[in-house]
Amino acid sequence: MENSRGKNIGITIFIVLLLTPIYWLLNMSFKTNQEILGGLTLWPENFTLHNYEVIFTDPSWYNGYINSMIYVSMNVVITLLVALPAAYAFSRYKFLGDKHLFFWLLSNRMAPPAVFLLPFFQLYSSIGLFDTHIAVALAHCLFNVPLAVWILEGFMSGVPREYDEMAYIDGYSFPKFFVKIFLPMIRSGIGVTAFFAFMFSWVELLLARTLTSVDAQPIAAIMTRTVGASGIDWGVLAAAGSLTIIPGLLVIWFVRNHVAKGFALGRV
Amino acid sequence: MFKNNNYPSALLLSAAVGAAGVAVSFPASADQYSDAAEKWVNESFKRSTLTKEEQLEELAWFTKAAEQFRGMDINVVSETIATHEYEASTLAKAFTDITGINLTHTLIQEGDVIEKLQTQMQSGRNIYDAYVNDSDLIGTHFRYGKVVPVQSIMEGAGKDLTLPTLDLDDFIGLDFVTAPDGTLYQLPDQQFANLYWFRADWFERDDLKSQFKEIYGYDLGVPVNWSAYEDIAEFFSVHVKEIDGKRVYGHMDYGKKDPSLGWRFTDAWFSMAGAGDKGLPNGLPVDEWGIRVEECHPVGSSVSRGGATNGPAAVYATTKYVDWLEKYAPPEAPGMTFSEAGPVPAQGNVAQQIFWYTAFTASMVKDGLPVVNEDGTPKWRMAPSPRGPYWEEGMKLGYQDVGSWTFFDSTPEKRRLAAWLYAQFTVSKTVSLEKTLAGLTPIRESDINSDEMTEAAPRLGGLVEFYRSPARVQWSPTGTNVPDYPKLAQLWWQFIAQAASGEATPQEALDGLAKAQDRVLERLERANVMATCGPKLNEPRDPQYWLDQPGSPKAKLDNEKPQGKTVPYQELLKTWEDARQS
Repeated sequence: MENSRGKNIGITIFIVLLLTPIYWLLNMSFKTNQEILGGLTLWPENFTLHNYEVIFTDPSWYNGYINSMIYVSMNVVITLLVALPAAYAFSRYKFLGDKHLFFWLLSNRMAPPAVFLLPFFQLYSSIGLFDTHIAVALAHCLFNVPLAVWILEGFMSGVPREYDEMAYIDGYSFPKFFVKIFLPMIRSGIGVTAFFAFMFSWVELLLARTLTSVDAQPIAAIMTRTVGASGIDWGVLAAAGSLTIIPGLLVIWFVRNHVAKGFALGRV
Repeated sequence: MFKNNNYPSALLLSAAVGAAGVAVSFPASADQYSDAAEKWVNESFKRSTLTKEEQLEELAWFTKAAEQFRGMDINVVSETIATHEYEASTLAKAFTDITGINLTHTLIQEGDVIEKLQTQMQSGRNIYDAYVNDSDLIGTHFRYGKVVPVQSIMEGAGKDLTLPTLDLDDFIGLDFVTAPDGTLYQLPDQQFANLYWFRADWFERDDLKSQFKEIYGYDLGVPVNWSAYEDIAEFFSVHVKEIDGKRVYGHMDYGKKDPSLGWRFTDAWFSMAGAGDKGLPNGLPVDEWGIRVEECHPVGSSVSRGGATNGPAAVYATTKYVDWLEKYAPPEAPGMTFSEAGPVPAQGNVAQQIFWYTAFTASMVKDGLPVVNEDGTPKWRMAPSPRGPYWEEGMKLGYQDVGSWTFFDSTPEKRRLAAWLYAQFTVSKTVSLEKTLAGLTPIRESDINSDEMTEAAPRLGGLVEFYRSPARVQWSPTGTNVPDYPKLAQLWWQFIAQAASGEATPQEALDGLAKAQDRVLERLERANVMATCGPKLNEPRDPQYWLDQPGSPKAKLDNEKPQGKTVPYQELLKTWEDARQS
């Protein structure tokens, strides 16, 4: 009894500590700038929705969310489409240099995205993809696909090869087996892969900012406009920040049942 | 045959209806633009230095000039300040309605604007069709040759697309956007200055006045020199300490190791101490960055090469910055960035600030702030910045930020010209007064002298009086001596931070900075990337040689703290008013 109460207290403190920054962000987003700068208040004294109003009534603000969601979804779809077959190949077939290739896939992740800024900018603008959603989605694939292959390969290798063979004997064609039998078995892996791809793409700022100017401008780039020569618009920045948490929350909510297993990355 | 007859008649009928439709819709579409113009003038551009007829005439000119560009999507970009927010939300829409050009005015933070601009310069690929870029980059633009000067647009391809009523002579900031060869490179869109800020209500209190006089032997007032500023800072932070039960400070500043610490210095701090040479808008041959030019070629910034970045005046200015921050500012100030420190004086416990941007005016006259009276007038005033002991008549005295329209040769000509129309629209007399009242960043003499500004003046704490005064010309942006603003400006905060944190003495920090600047100049010289006026470094020699020459770099003064001098605010206003009358 004593022990479990101690545990409860510990967990409560832990959660409170974790949630404090998020609470503070929310708290700020409902305050006026005057109150934010005026002194410490634990909750909004002059509760206002003005900051959210700014975002939801100005197309140049809310379009940022739409742009981000478009390229992030594109990125997740492309990443999965490309990584699933690749991971299957790595987990099931042996071919010359497979181990090396598998390892060096990760080399793209070893360089910070900033390294690719100018080459990507030159490349995309010469083929007319600059300031499009697909440009950002493709750029993020460079980082997400290798990671996705690694994660998925782990899950796929956890599925005994006998399943493939049994399905073949039962008369399943390969595509049918892959979609109907194989994928459902690794769905927690797909969930966690999608989650990682989503998160990387959602919070990545450098590439997204460099490859866009107007039509595909991500929310993270638009948020920088709260910083001006006459100071920072803290309230609007906090509101914009609070809103950026929501898509991530939704994704976690939907994949939460798969993720617990998935975060073990296929280890049982 | 009979049956068939129906067909042609039906055709005829539809053709007739169609023709009628066309006949009706043609004048309608021609009117669409003038209707829009009328609507905008009636609803949004009521206050103007032009009459309504003149406004409509100007807008009609835009409609006509834009005919060939109708339907194009044009993108321009600027940093975020109230003026540009007004442009992005109001003027861009108005322009689209009146001309049929789909204009998007994107707002991003200033650092990002510079980054995009550099990417466009270096890659030669078009990102935005026009930029509002601070005129601090004038030295960069005229040297690299990637900018299409506004003057060549006006005289060349854009000759027929230049507003006849643009009235360049009415602009107050043209000096700042003109290269040494006299070519106009950019078109000013907004400008604000860096001035002295103080609590006029406290400075008027008899108890404080007599206490000050008792301690320092002269009157409390607007400080004319740094000695007086220092005395007043000490007076409030050390002697007064509390006003109405609240701890108060005689100085506010910031000192965190952060890029914004660079502006604190590159925005002409050394010029206020008097480090450069005489000359307006910028000192020649040595400017306030301490960079010496010879016939437009930068030759060095260390004293050993004839520059003044690490000269005695610069060291004095840096020492004072560090001392005051330590001794007189609120204890949290050294850990703050520009954006964090900016709103602090509005909280009501700071008596004066030597380095204050007028861009903060609007946010400091909001109702309910401790520094605003109940009738909405401010308790504070702005005044000319005090000068350091090295300052001499004929030198600049502070910084002015001049956001200016900038066009690149990597932008396709047709897009550039369409953007040129929008640029002119944002500064045209039709809209300029409304814009000035919205953003408080005046660019036109006619707006400054307007009745509307006179009416607004009491709520703006001296902004209007300053811009009407002849003193205005002493506040200027970074000049043409600086050959690559982005590359050089980023050096400053790292070295200044060493001095601010006490890691190095001001002399050591500035020696490092001067050396680093010279290295950049050297690299630019070697790479030979500048089309004109590239750096040609002097050979280093004994610094004493340069200190012995007349002008900057100036030798160390024996007495860096002369007698403090102040002037009553009302008297200051009167001298301005008199000078304006004469």
